Parts: sequence; C-alpha cells; structure tokens
Amino acid sequence: MRIFHKTSFDFIGHRKIAYGISVVLLLSGFISLAVKGLNYGIDFRGGSEVVIRFQKDVDVSTVRGAFDAAGVSGSLKQYGMDRSFLLSTVFKGDTGGLKTLLDNALTSRIPGNPHEVVRIDAVGPSIAADLKWSAVKALVASLIAILLYVGFRFEIKFATAGVVAIFHDILSVLGLFSILGGMFEFMPLEMDQSIIAAFLTIAGYSITDTVVVYDRIRERIRGQKPSDYERIFNDSMNQTLSRTVITSGTVLLSVFVLFIFAGPAIRGFAFAVFMGILVGTYSSIFVAAPLVYDWLRLSKSAVRLRGGQKS
Amino acid sequence: MKNKRFNLLLIAVVTIVSIWSLIPTWQDYSFTKQLNSFGTSRDSLSYAMSHRDDIENARQKSLKLGLDLKGGMHLVMEVDQVDLFEQKAWNKDAKFFSIMDTVRGDVAASDARVIDLLASEFKKANIPLSRYFYDIRNTDQEIVGKLQKESEDALNRAKEIIRNRIDQYGVAEPVITTQGSRKIIIELPGVSDENRVRNLLKGTAKLEFRLLREQEVLLRTLDRINTYLAQNGTAMQAPPVKADSSAAQATATVPAAGTASPATPATPAAGQSSKPLYDLVAINQYGIPVTSAHSKDFVSTLFHRADIQALLPPDTELVISAKPDDYGNKAEKFYTVYLVRKTPELTGGVITEAKATFGSQGAQPEVLMSMNSEGTAKWARITGANIGKRVAIVLDGVVYSAPVVQSKIPNGNSVINGIESIDEAKDLEIVLKAGALPAPVRITEERTVGPSLGADYIRAGMLSLLWSFVAVSGFMLVYYKKAGIAANIALVLNILIVLSVLAGFNASLSLPGIAGIVLTIGMAVDANVLIYERVREELAEGKTITGAISQGYDRAFSSILDSHVTTLVAAFLLYTYGIGPIQGFAVTLMIGTSASLFTAIVVTREIFNALLSKNLMSDKSFG
Repeated sequence: MRIFHKTSFDFIGHRKIAYGISVVLLLSGFISLAVKGLNYGIDFRGGSEVVIRFQKDVDVSTVRGAFDAAGVSGSLKQYGMDRSFLLSTVFKGDTGGLKTLLDNALTSRIPGNPHEVVRIDAVGPSIAADLKWSAVKALVASLIAILLYVGFRFEIKFATAGVVAIFHDILSVLGLFSILGGMFEFMPLEMDQSIIAAFLTIAGYSITDTVVVYDRIRERIRGQKPSDYERIFNDSMNQTLSRTVITSGTVLLSVFVLFIFAGPAIRGFAFAVFMGILVGTYSSIFVAAPLVYDWLRLSKSAVRLRGGQKS
Repeated sequence: MKNKRFNLLLIAVVTIVSIWSLIPTWQDYSFTKQLNSFGTSRDSLSYAMSHRDDIENARQKSLKLGLDLKGGMHLVMEVDQVDLFEQKAWNKDAKFFSIMDTVRGDVAASDARVIDLLASEFKKANIPLSRYFYDIRNTDQEIVGKLQKESEDALNRAKEIIRNRIDQYGVAEPVITTQGSRKIIIELPGVSDENRVRNLLKGTAKLEFRLLREQEVLLRTLDRINTYLAQNGTAMQAPPVKADSSAAQATATVPAAGTASPATPATPAAGQSSKPLYDLVAINQYGIPVTSAHSKDFVSTLFHRADIQALLPPDTELVISAKPDDYGNKAEKFYTVYLVRKTPELTGGVITEAKATFGSQGAQPEVLMSMNSEGTAKWARITGANIGKRVAIVLDGVVYSAPVVQSKIPNGNSVINGIESIDEAKDLEIVLKAGALPAPVRITEERTVGPSLGADYIRAGMLSLLWSFVAVSGFMLVYYKKAGIAANIALVLNILIVLSVLAGFNASLSLPGIAGIVLTIGMAVDANVLIYERVREELAEGKTITGAISQGYDRAFSSILDSHVTTLVAAFLLYTYGIGPIQGFAVTLMIGTSASLFTAIVVTREIFNALLSKNLMSDKSFG
C-alpha cells in the first residue's frame, strides 16, 4: 500500500499562500489571546479543585443548589466522567475542612444519592508561581537546546527556521486553546502543567518532522548551484512527503486513542498534542523548509552543511 | 559476522532481562487475583500466611503504581521560616515585630529566599541584623549565613520529624523529600483517612505546661477588653491582617454547624452592641467564660491582636480550650477561655515517652507522658511550688486540660486528657514522641486521588495502551506487510523495556506515565517508517532487496538520530523542570524513545538479516 506515490507538488512555488495561511492562523490566535486570554488551571492560578462523583444521575443545578444553600463558594461544572462534577474554589490551606463542608451539604441536601469525593487538588499561590516559572524555564531551555543541536547538526539557517517553526506550532496551539477554551464541556482546555508537557512534546515532535525534511535536502543540496535550490527543495519535500505524513499519522493515531480513552485528566493534553502534530507536520513542509529556501535565496551564497551521509 | 553475533546476543540479553524483571509484577498480580478469589476472608488469610514470603518478595520487586493510580495523597508543606527566624531573635521589640510583619508580606509576594528578604528589610530600616540576631560583633553577612544554615537544619529536622510521625502512623512506602530551602514533599500511597493524616502532619506539636492566672484576674481582663472594644467601636470589623481570612472561614463554617442546629446564633459579623466582647464570650452559670463553636476562631484571632494584648496583665495570654467542655448543655458546644502565663514552666522537649490509653474512670482517652531527668526535677519543683494552683497543658496554642496540682509530682509523669477519641489520643502520642517541629509548617499543595478514581484511571490507561497498540501495529501490518511484523515485534519489545526499566529502578507508573507509553507507541515506529520508506525508494530505483535494506538503514540513520535526540532533549527538560505527575510522563517518554533507537534499528535489522539468510524476503516484503 502506498500513499503519495511519486508526487510532484510545487511546494516552494506556493509558499506565499502557506505563509498567508500561517499568518492568519497566528493572528487569529493572538487576537483571541489579547481579547479573551487563556483559562489557567489551578496549577498556575492557585486554588482548590474537588471532583465529586455520585452513584446515581443528578442534575448540575441540583448540586449547585445544595452548595449555594450550604454556603459553599466556587464554581461547579460537569466533569468529563459519568455523574461527576468539578468544584473549583479559592485555595484554603485546610482541604479537610472543605471536604467536611461538602460532605455535610451533599448528604443532607441530596439524600438517597451517595457521593464520593474522588479527587482533591489544592495548589497554594506560592506553588502556582513556582510552577509557572518552571514551565517558562523548561520551554525556553528546550528551544535553546534544540536550536543549538540543529545548528550543530545542520547549519544556523536551518536551525533558526526550525525553531521558528516550533514557535509557529506552539503559538498556533496556544491560540487554539484561547479560541476554543471553555467551549466544550468535556474538555475545558485550561492551561496547566500537562499542557506545558504537551508543548514540549510538540516542540520535540515539530523539529523531528522538520529534521526529516532537512535531512533529505542536506543529502541532495551538496555541491549544487543556488539556482537549482528551488528544484532540490521541491524534490526533497516530495520524496519525504510520504514519510512525513506516515510518521505523523502513527503518532496522531495513538494520541487520538488517548483523547478518546484516557479520561478527562489527559484529554486537554491529548488535544494539544494532536493539534500540535497536525500543525507541526504542516509547518515542517510549508514553513521551515520554505523559510530556509528564502533565506538562502536572499543571502545568495552556497550553503555549507555539516553531517550527513556516510556513503 | 562478529558484530552480528554481538547484536543477537544483545537482543537476547535485553529481552530476557526485561521479561525477568517483570516476573515479580506478574506474580504480584496473580497473587492479588488469587487472594481476591477466595470466598471467605479466612481462606484468603491462610493463603496469604502460607505464601507470605513469595507475596512480599513479588510485591517489593513489582512495578509500582503511582499515587494517581493507586489512590493516595501528594502533599507539599512549607516551613514557616519567618517564624523560625523570629524564634532565633533576641531583644525583640515593637520595631522588630513590625519589620517581621513586612517581611511576612514580602515572602507571600515573592519567590526570593526568605533570608534575603529579611536582610533587605532590615537594611532598609537601617538596623544591623546583629541588634536582634546572634552576637553584636557579627556582620550582616555572617548572620545571614548562620540563619540560612539554621533554616536548612530546621528543614531537615522537620523532614525527619514528619517521617517519624508517618512511620508511626503506619503508611506503606511513604516518600518524603525536601525541595529547595523550605519545602517538604510527602507522598502517601493508599491513605484512607486523609483528614487524620492532614492533622497529624500540620501540627507543630509544641507542648507547654503553663500556670493559670486566677479566675478574678481573667474576669477583670475580659471586662477591660469589653470596655475597650465598646469605646473604640472597632470590635468586629476588619481586625488587622490575618483576621480577614479567618473571619471568612468562621462564616464559612457556620452553615456546616447550622445544619445540626438550625437556630444559629448571631454570627460574629453581626455588628455593634454595648457589649462587643460579651456577644462572643459568655460567662456561664459556673462563672466561667466560654465561647461557642462558631465564634471560637474569631475570638482566638481577636485575642492575638496587638491592641488587645496590650490590655492583658504582663506576661499573660488568653487561650481557648482545644475541645468543647461539658457544661451540661448538650445542644451547643462551648469552649473555655483561659488566662495563662506567657512563659511556659516546662516545654515538650523534656518528654521522652508518650502512651495513649483509657483513663481510670473508663471511657476517657488520655495520653500518659514521662519526662527525662532534667524535666522530672523541674516538674517536681514546679508542682511542689504550686500546690492548689492550676497548670494548663497547652499544645499548639490550645489548652487540652488545666488540672489543679494536688501534690508534688516527683516521678516526671503527667497526663493529657480532654481528648475526644482514642484515635486522636494515638495521634497525640505519635506527635509527642516524634517531637515538636522547629517551626510551623503549612500545606501549600495537596493532590489527593481516591482509590475508586485510581481504578478508573487504570482502566482508562489500559484501554488507551491496548487500542493505540492495536491501531498502530494494525496500520504497520497493513501498510508494510511482512516488514510491519518486524516493526511490531520491535514495538512489543520496546514496551517491555519501558515497563521493566520502571520496575527495575523502582520508579512508579502514573497515568501521565501511561500517556507517555502510548505516545511512545506512536513515535517508536517512526524510526521504522523512516527506514522502510527509504528501503522502498531504494527498491524503486532497482536495487536488490539485500542492497535496498542495507542502504535504507544506513541512509535513514541520520534522520532517526536527529529526531530522537530532539525528542529526548525536550523530554529531559520536562523531567528537570516538571514536578511529580509530569515527570512520570517525561520518564516513560525518555525510556521509550531511547529504547526505540535500539528496537527499531538493531532488532528489526537482525530480523531482516535472519529472514534474508533464509531467502524469506522479496521485493514485496515492504508492501
């Protein structure tokens, strides 16, 4: 079986269209970030979250009513599991007190439907600040490390374009989170630690895809005249198209399975990685390589690449 | 040829080691299944007894499940360094306390080291640290160094004390570590009574024996406070600093109490009256001042206000009882108010042994304590000199009991009563034995997962693993035919390696960890896809199958290496900067990615070599 057998798309010729699409994608994300912002999870915002599961079906308004009557403050939402609700409130050092309060309220006001507090997460403000800071450090450090590694293995223009593509991918997903945040009940799309993990996974994967394309370009560009670059870039991308799509495809398959089966705690993460890999595959063909091409074209010098083939 | 033999040997060793290190996990699983299959608990108990060693051994070496899968608590506690430094200071005056208050505010708002914030505040006020800390001849820098050392010691001592408490409470496999200069991370798998654990951990366990002042003095003092509050009209609103939050808490707990007795009396925030204090504190029929359950927190905060403390007789403090006392009124619970000397006669440091028992009258739980020789001597002197007076036993700022001294106690024994349940008595025994924490600790992060949710997570994780394996391996099979089989064998080995490395290094598997494995399944075949696509290209160029395979592996190698290294870099940084759950994800991703370098390249290559040598490969083998 073969997908994309002997294609000859003119990727470089149409790169301006791709740039346009990327700019629109990123701009709409930025606008949403500026206007609507992001939903922060308790990891970064601080606060307490309690997941309560009932034995029988119950309406969210009934539970909310019970909490209101008992003076429990905070927002109550359906949680992405059967008969479960998520209550988020401000951080109180003593989650024991909170739990007792909830238990009393629910037992007395929703009788005949036993409930269980299945999860409590409480993050104090100082921890939230720490987590935010570590997330930034991890992202910046990984971008620098990737820049250095690809710069060392290929060439600085390739590395820079690769990192630009990573930015493109992460910012696109970030924009999506802002646009879609709070729209779906089964996935709130809040920024928390797992999303940072998703971003790092996307960064690693985006560059993986890009490197596959670069590798072929490197193999073919050696000793060629700059005037042939357009043809070489196009050929390389066409030849690697099938690998690029299939490698992304297998990862997309398993991430899709995660999204469906792994439950609400992983859903936001799976969504972010799924989108990131989609955008990452697109960007390695339509952003990274064309950027390198444009840069080479403007600098008008033949490229010298390190590494590559043994044979 | 030699190289090839080495590869085969390596593959055999890796496979055997990974299977071998997963055997205990399998045993543990089947023992658990066996134990659950018995009809009666007696049968399962006798089975457990007869196979005890095997079960223990299997359990110890098996793949551990993370807190989120097993259910349990993850706590981060912070040592209050400001309080610690306050304890270390001398000649504390109003100026000192006001600076420390500012420091406290700074600490809440900033990530910087507490000691640096403290030093900079004192510098701002132009006061050398040596006025309050250590020796007058010390420079600021020396003092900062000493205090920093002190706080590190305190953190380690706190960690040990907390470990003692947990060990005595009895939690299987707790993990207690310190992070940075003021955090203690505690992981408690399978804890069933979270509330009890929380209370056990957060108490400082500062035990003090303090003399009670006379009842008339107490009543006069309360009168004075009442008059003061009435005159100033500031009784109830906005007491400074901390009162806000605890007032909010007080109102928040009202409804909970209210569910029991609907006729809730006026809340503390009710406002002005001519008897501001006596709305909160009542003198009961025995002439003893008491406060009700829901105004207790508020009153306690009020007693700590600086302007109220100024009204007290010198070297005294108002404290409230730990438990409601029985004054014959069953409907409502009342806590007694005491006036005690501020300087303790004796502190908990002298306690060597504590034991929870039931008291002589029967059902009352109590804790018996004995003291070391120094404490015994002091205690004998104190009790001898104060016969007929009352000594309050104060633990973490609340009074447990205030017995009248009947006679001199020469043997260093004392007893805490006024305890509600034997569980609580046992917890007191634990904290008293473990000793007092050097400074108060706060819970700043908590993640608790109940066992039923953990079971759900396991089911979800297993389903994801299964389906992603089916989907990916099915795809490889359909798309690459025979070569797909090789890739799938490599994939199975890859998953085995990940699990066995986790089991072998005693790391635990969490839900994010499973997500990491699922992602690895998708990414591990990447290398094979790169190779196979290359082989197909070579075949299309008319190479023989042997030549194409060899070229395919050689030429795909640099892409594979680059792509794996970049993934590893991202996973490594995630591990470095992430915490708990995210680290689990990073770890499995790292192991999986590294293992796939081996499985996808070496293992599949050897499979093809074997097939080639038997003439089982053709142009069609790559689909």
